[in-house]
Amino acid sequence: MNGKGMGDNNNKKGLINAKPKNMWGTIKRLLGYMKKSSWLLVLTVIVAIAGTIMQVISPKILGNALTLIFNGIKQSSGIEFGGLLTILLTVAALYVGVFITSFLQERMMTVVAQKTTYTLRNALKAKMNKVPISFFDKNATGNLMSIAANDVDNIATNLQQSVIGIISSAILIVGMLGMMISISPILTLLACVSIPCSLLVMTLLTPQTKKNTKKYYNLQGELNGRIEEIYQGFLVTKSFNGEEVALRKFDAVNAKLVTSGWRARFFGGIMMPSMSLIQNIIYVLIVVVGAVKVVGGSIIIGDMQAFLQYSTQFTSPLVKLLQIWGNLLSTIASAERIFEVLDAKETLDYQKEFPNNDDETAKVVFEHVKFGYNGATLMKDFCMEVKDGQMVAIVGHTGAGKTTLINLLERFYEIQDGSIRIDGTDIRNVGPDKVRQQIGMVLQDTWLFSGTIYDNIRYGNAKASEEQIYAAAKAAYADDFIQKMPDGYNSILGEEADNISHGQRQLITIARAFVSNPDILILDEATSNVDSRTELVIQSAMKRLLKGRTSFVIAHRLSTIYDADRILVMDKGDIVETGNHKELLSKNGTYADIYNSQFAQKSA
Amino acid sequence: MLKIIKRLSLSSVIAAISFLLVQIVCALYLPYLTADIVNKGLITGDISYIWSQGYLMIALSVGSLLGALVNTLIFSRVSYKLGGELRSDIYRKVLSFSNYEFDKFGASSLMTRNTNDVTQVQNLVEMGLKFVILSLAMLVGGILMTALLSPVLALIYLGVVPFLAAAAFVVYRFASPLYAKMQKLLDTLNRFFREGLTGAKVIRAFNNEDKEYEKYRASNREYTRAAITAGTIMSVFVPLITLLISLSTLLIVWIGGTSVAAGTVQIGSIMSAISYAVQILMGFGMMTQVILSIPRGQISAARINEVLDMPLSVKDPQLPSEPEKGTFCFEQVDFRYPGAVRKTLENINLKVEEGQTLAIIGSTGEGKSSLVNLIARLYDVEKGCVKIGGIDVRELSQTKLHGLVSLAPQKSTLFMGTIRENMLLSKPNASDEDIWAALEMASAMEFVTSLDKDVEKSGGNFSGGQKQRLCIARTLLKDAKLYIFDDSFSALDFKTDTLVRAAMKEKLKCAITVIVAQRVSTVMNADLIAVLDHGKLAGLGTHEQLRASNPIYQQIIDSQFYKEVAV
Repeated sequence: MNGKGMGDNNNKKGLINAKPKNMWGTIKRLLGYMKKSSWLLVLTVIVAIAGTIMQVISPKILGNALTLIFNGIKQSSGIEFGGLLTILLTVAALYVGVFITSFLQERMMTVVAQKTTYTLRNALKAKMNKVPISFFDKNATGNLMSIAANDVDNIATNLQQSVIGIISSAILIVGMLGMMISISPILTLLACVSIPCSLLVMTLLTPQTKKNTKKYYNLQGELNGRIEEIYQGFLVTKSFNGEEVALRKFDAVNAKLVTSGWRARFFGGIMMPSMSLIQNIIYVLIVVVGAVKVVGGSIIIGDMQAFLQYSTQFTSPLVKLLQIWGNLLSTIASAERIFEVLDAKETLDYQKEFPNNDDETAKVVFEHVKFGYNGATLMKDFCMEVKDGQMVAIVGHTGAGKTTLINLLERFYEIQDGSIRIDGTDIRNVGPDKVRQQIGMVLQDTWLFSGTIYDNIRYGNAKASEEQIYAAAKAAYADDFIQKMPDGYNSILGEEADNISHGQRQLITIARAFVSNPDILILDEATSNVDSRTELVIQSAMKRLLKGRTSFVIAHRLSTIYDADRILVMDKGDIVETGNHKELLSKNGTYADIYNSQFAQKSA
Repeated sequence: MLKIIKRLSLSSVIAAISFLLVQIVCALYLPYLTADIVNKGLITGDISYIWSQGYLMIALSVGSLLGALVNTLIFSRVSYKLGGELRSDIYRKVLSFSNYEFDKFGASSLMTRNTNDVTQVQNLVEMGLKFVILSLAMLVGGILMTALLSPVLALIYLGVVPFLAAAAFVVYRFASPLYAKMQKLLDTLNRFFREGLTGAKVIRAFNNEDKEYEKYRASNREYTRAAITAGTIMSVFVPLITLLISLSTLLIVWIGGTSVAAGTVQIGSIMSAISYAVQILMGFGMMTQVILSIPRGQISAARINEVLDMPLSVKDPQLPSEPEKGTFCFEQVDFRYPGAVRKTLENINLKVEEGQTLAIIGSTGEGKSSLVNLIARLYDVEKGCVKIGGIDVRELSQTKLHGLVSLAPQKSTLFMGTIRENMLLSKPNASDEDIWAALEMASAMEFVTSLDKDVEKSGGNFSGGQKQRLCIARTLLKDAKLYIFDDSFSALDFKTDTLVRAAMKEKLKCAITVIVAQRVSTVMNADLIAVLDHGKLAGLGTHEQLRASNPIYQQIIDSQFYKEVAV
């Protein structure tokens, strides 16, 4: 939820003030995504042209029918019904043609638009699997979501409307103008007066609409943020009797929101009526001038009727073109945001082979590793060797590089120099998937996806049998509380999995790691949210599980430290001390310092 | 939906509708005048008549614009006011919820209801009210005006109406469930994408990238299919309606032609009747738009009403009592979360005197937080009672009760603003000195340089330990009879933990303190320690007593100190 509300708003703001950076390049690239449907696109254009031409000529032909009737009575020779029928049937055929072509073009464009966005969505999703983890540090979830949801949606909608819109509007304008001129150049000139007048109305009203719309979205973002915060801190607000203050602040923003909202709506809403006034005045003038001409005999009545039809319809494609132009700009801006993500750097695929060490006896080796986030160096020359089956506890102050160690081993980040080897093989020589296959982990952040508990545990290993999953849950002491839930293992976890406690989520992630049955196990402060009694039981179960496995535990608990074969004390990206608890304590160095501030209990 | 519409002020709506009718009537009268011009002016060649009617037409156009301006003004004001009102009412209602109701919806669901759903309804009311009337007026008006010109021609339009209605029904029946389905599929699609972002590390650690991609692609394909089907239905619908109306104009020319020959209809009338076809078509198009947007708005309206109609489980008593002394006790309390099979707390009996400290210790999920939440009456007990000063908490008004109790909840919660604003929440009239004193007690002086220091959203610019200390300070600032610290010391290191608890002793000397903790060192100095196990009171006594005789307490001690002896 967090980034979602804001993301939507940012995007809407983005859609209002869309300014593409490289218009033609982006259009070209977007067209590339439509390649698969290129013949459909061509067909759509042809059909649209045919349909529009039929649309343009039908009023003129229908006008002939009126002329026929008019002349029939005027010359009192009687109406020639045979001719009338022919005309009407012709027009009917045209109407049916318009029906078929508009259906075809709409349907084909739906397919083109949907297929294009289908490809774009898949490309984005695939990209998310390829970018390095550092990408997610730089790009907020809300922002990426907004690109994958709103920008893609924006393209789908506008693609469908714009392509047909541009073609048909352009033909309509040219065709109608041609028809009108052929009927009467002077009346056409009169009809064209409406164009500058309409533009004037638009330039008068648009800034007001834009200003208020922008204000509205800003205020909406502010208000949504406020609601979100108060609802997330509901307990505090309630228990401190803070409702009054919260309401007062809310009402102030809400009132402003209402005002800017209706103003935006009002200025936007009176645009059309104002334009119709102009149109109506011109219409009257055309009728009057036209009538004079019909009386004078320079225009026949049927043409007059056709002209009136043209003149009322003629401004709408113009307005439509202007709208499409705006939409097109925002579509391109959306496409640019999508392409920017698609162009992000991917996880490095080293073209060269790094030296392996086949005689290595250690399970995991860090050798002269250099690394830092965003240019800053954290590890200068990090070395470490861990033997097969060892349990290593990692201790250090915040920012000492404990999590970094794990990130590098999992190859979430790329080292800048040196090498990391598992069983003697440099991890860059095999794909990240091969590395990760051997490693199981329980992270600080207890991510679970929305789905059943059963599926979440199985996530660690898709091939796990039902028994294995229950066994893992039991081993993680999760079985007990899962059985107590209304649907047991089939209970569905919500999107943020907030229907179970944090400790329980942690237990599920532990079960998930059990199921994956890895060579190497990583626990990143994994048990810090489980109370010490539960932790004790987990520890003993883990001890059994850890047998024959190499494990890294970022330790926050005494028991972990005691159980470890080795303790690594990290400071400023380096190992400053190593040994067991007793040895380290007697050194009276960094470890003793950390131990006293974090673990020791005065009275113990 | 009806319930929400009833909130609209009747006079404004009537005024808006009247002006809307002015707009439409003027607009509808224009083609009639054109017919008049043709019939009486054109055919006879009476130019002055044409001019006089022309002036009338311009006057009508201006009238139509005025009507449009006023009704747009009223409609947009009315609907946005309604939106504001709904938003504020939901917010008010939610703030009156107890945790029971709040949990029922969940924070994120309430957020959506308070924001997106209100916007949906607001749009539907504005568009709906205006366009339903506008489209009906155009539809009926168009046909009526045609009837005025020639009843025969009007019959043709009347004959088309059932076909139009049938087409609209088909759309409503088939397209709108499809759109609902699309929305659902889109939500799933977006959820999958979001999960891919938030769970990037886990997905990669378990090598599930391909699986996630396949899951997304399958869902994407399903959505695309639904979108194409819905789009196809719509691409038949609009052209079909246009075709129906267009064909009926041809019929009008044909029948009109014969009638002209017979002298019953004049030629200008045929021309105007064709113009009315456009009006009828537009009216119908608008109508279907509104019909299509109704289901979505209705769902939102239902979701809003669910919140507004939610009965409050925690109600203030008719005649609230006043507590006397600061003791508090639990008498045979049973509690379970709504819908849960198992009781969270069972047969809890406790009594704490003024000035004493009660500590609650136990495993995760054993009901420690539930127990303290019952004191602040964030939930109601199932059986038994919780008493403060000898009075059942259910007999106190909530404001009074919340004034007596100062709670630091498990989740450190700070709000966007300044440190001062966050502190004042617990005691609105506190002076800066009071705040500094509270901050000092909570050992928060070292990182708070100024009370005007900004606090980011959810306290994002503070570490876990700092947030906890700020929350402790806020809890201490309030002058209460009962202070509750729900696991508020967990992120503090041992030194700070001890320091804070020593500092607050003086302030809490005459009050009751309740501390929930998992660390033995945090609870060992308490006057009374309650050991919770599977929702039951497994032990009650001092540290010494429990250490000597309580097996569960011993287990807890062992888990935290167990190798200390060996080292």
